[in-house]
Amino acid sequence: MTVNKLERLLNLTAVLLDTRRPLSAEELRQKVDGYPPPGAAFHRTFERDKDDLRVLGIPLRVERVPATDPPVDGYRIAAEDYYLPDPGLDPDELAALHLASLTVRLEGLGDQEALWKLGGLGGAEPSAVPGQGDPGVVKDVVASLPGDPGLVPIFQAISERRTIRFPYRDEAREVEPWRLDFHRGRWYLTGFDLAREGERNFRLDRIDGAVEPTDRKAETRPPPPPAGGPRRPWELGEEQPVTARLLVDAERVDAARRELGPDVVGDQQPDGSVIFTVPVVNHDAFRSFVLGFLHHAELLEPSAWRADIVRWLEALAVASGPVR
Amino acid sequence: MSRITAADRMRRVLAIVPWIVANPGEKVADVASRFGLTEEELLADLGVVYMVGLPPYSPDALVDVQIDDEGRVTIRLADFFSRPLRLTPGQGLALLASSDGLLSVPGTDADGALARALAKLAAALGVGDDDIDVHLGAAEGRMLDRLRHAAAAGTEIEMVYYSYGRDAHTTRVIAPWRVFADAGAWYVHGWCHRADGERIFRVDRIESITELDRPATVRPDDGEQTNGVFHPREGDPRVTLELDADASWVVDAYPCEDVTEPVDGVLTATLVVTAVPWLERLLVRLGPSARVVDAQGLADATLLAGRAAARMLERYRPAG
Repeated sequence: MTVNKLERLLNLTAVLLDTRRPLSAEELRQKVDGYPPPGAAFHRTFERDKDDLRVLGIPLRVERVPATDPPVDGYRIAAEDYYLPDPGLDPDELAALHLASLTVRLEGLGDQEALWKLGGLGGAEPSAVPGQGDPGVVKDVVASLPGDPGLVPIFQAISERRTIRFPYRDEAREVEPWRLDFHRGRWYLTGFDLAREGERNFRLDRIDGAVEPTDRKAETRPPPPPAGGPRRPWELGEEQPVTARLLVDAERVDAARRELGPDVVGDQQPDGSVIFTVPVVNHDAFRSFVLGFLHHAELLEPSAWRADIVRWLEALAVASGPVR
Repeated sequence: MSRITAADRMRRVLAIVPWIVANPGEKVADVASRFGLTEEELLADLGVVYMVGLPPYSPDALVDVQIDDEGRVTIRLADFFSRPLRLTPGQGLALLASSDGLLSVPGTDADGALARALAKLAAALGVGDDDIDVHLGAAEGRMLDRLRHAAAAGTEIEMVYYSYGRDAHTTRVIAPWRVFADAGAWYVHGWCHRADGERIFRVDRIESITELDRPATVRPDDGEQTNGVFHPREGDPRVTLELDADASWVVDAYPCEDVTEPVDGVLTATLVVTAVPWLERLLVRLGPSARVVDAQGLADATLLAGRAAARMLERYRPAG
């Protein structure tokens, strides 16, 4: 049974790729071996085959068969939709892709078929990323990236340069998507928000519904990604930039430096503690960061934010009942 | 052999036929190994291809598969399958994300084959090289290298580790088994002599390491692959929190047991507490958005946040 179906699907695909004009279901039934006679059984089989082709990613076009009245649906596969543009990968590049797909996996999306399409796995065992000093170094790395339902439609819209719509913080947004970033365990979208007329960042896991492509062409060109690596939570926001000064005890300075990133200026004090000068556009995120140091850090400026921390802590001290 | 659907075989055939058309005369065994198949599987697939063609299915309109005496395979007249099917958006994204992620690993050659492959693939998919940006985690390249070398060599190291949960530094001797990235951070999994058990440590909280150049005394069980980083134990204390809507991220960020449906945006969740300072810090950060409603195996849970806040206030309101 499986072989018959495979043969039929292959023949159907061949006929649809070969034809210049859309073919009706009946024409396809006559041209492709293995279909039942006209009637309900044929229609069921044909519908299932169409679904199978779509699941396989075969771009089936549905167009009106010329000169039919009432109109009749016709089917064909356009070569430009079907064929993979040859990326021109050298063997060592293909092997490197294979290694990458084995060591870093994107949940729910990584599969072997992609590499088959690009020319197979290039041998049984990819030994190393060529050009790397020590072949053993990255071979055993295993990393997994979480999937997200928004990833594929956003990626598709980036490649097709279309805008997308999605609900975010109880508002419908329309965005020209520029870039997908994965950092600190989360996926982010950076793009141009049409209503707000500016660059915005969105957390994919906060997108509250489906990401829908539109027919509108994206007009803005993405600026180069920010230097200094991924952004921190307090760098993602829509507030006026504020410069904060944070004193961190000596024993937590290394950890703070890692969290704050290489671009943040630190002024070392005689006792080994450091005063960091941090640009912030998200007050809540920065407060949360500061509180995470417990009593090993102290927010010095701005004074309004310092007072806010004191109020925060006083409320907690009271809510938890008498202390001391 | 596992059951394989017509669609699965179709994927294979549509990829293999164009490759053979473009690379005539390769040995069946080599083609099979390139595509990760047994020779029998490949021959069965080619047997089906042999029956494919265009109407009227006369011999000259069928795909012509030939295998010579030396096992070299050639396919002709497969114009319609002369190029592979394009990548689906999901496949393209997965390859770019894997490649960019591996390139973010400190020590990977930024101009090597993988970087070139990424640029070519991005161009073929109609996106820029910078459009997908994956950072597996902050870690010092030298630290990762030294841990990986120790894991590969099966030797032990001594390290100074900052335990975020316990808010304390410790010196430990561990046998690193495996280094991996998960959810945006790098981890080393191995045997910890101080804890006398298997442990997982975050690489970015290792302050320093010293190679001990002595073989690890405890080896991982064969085939062991622990990728999760959190393994609650039966006897660990539990705390039940009432969380307002703006604190509901806790449910996504930490493994929870028993999460209730939100009522007016407020939900309750039970979390496993592996270390008290961790809970203290979480409660201080959540502030008014979270309340402790129940605790098991944990004395004074409702007082934790207040005590920590009082300690912190001393710093902001110096005596006098």
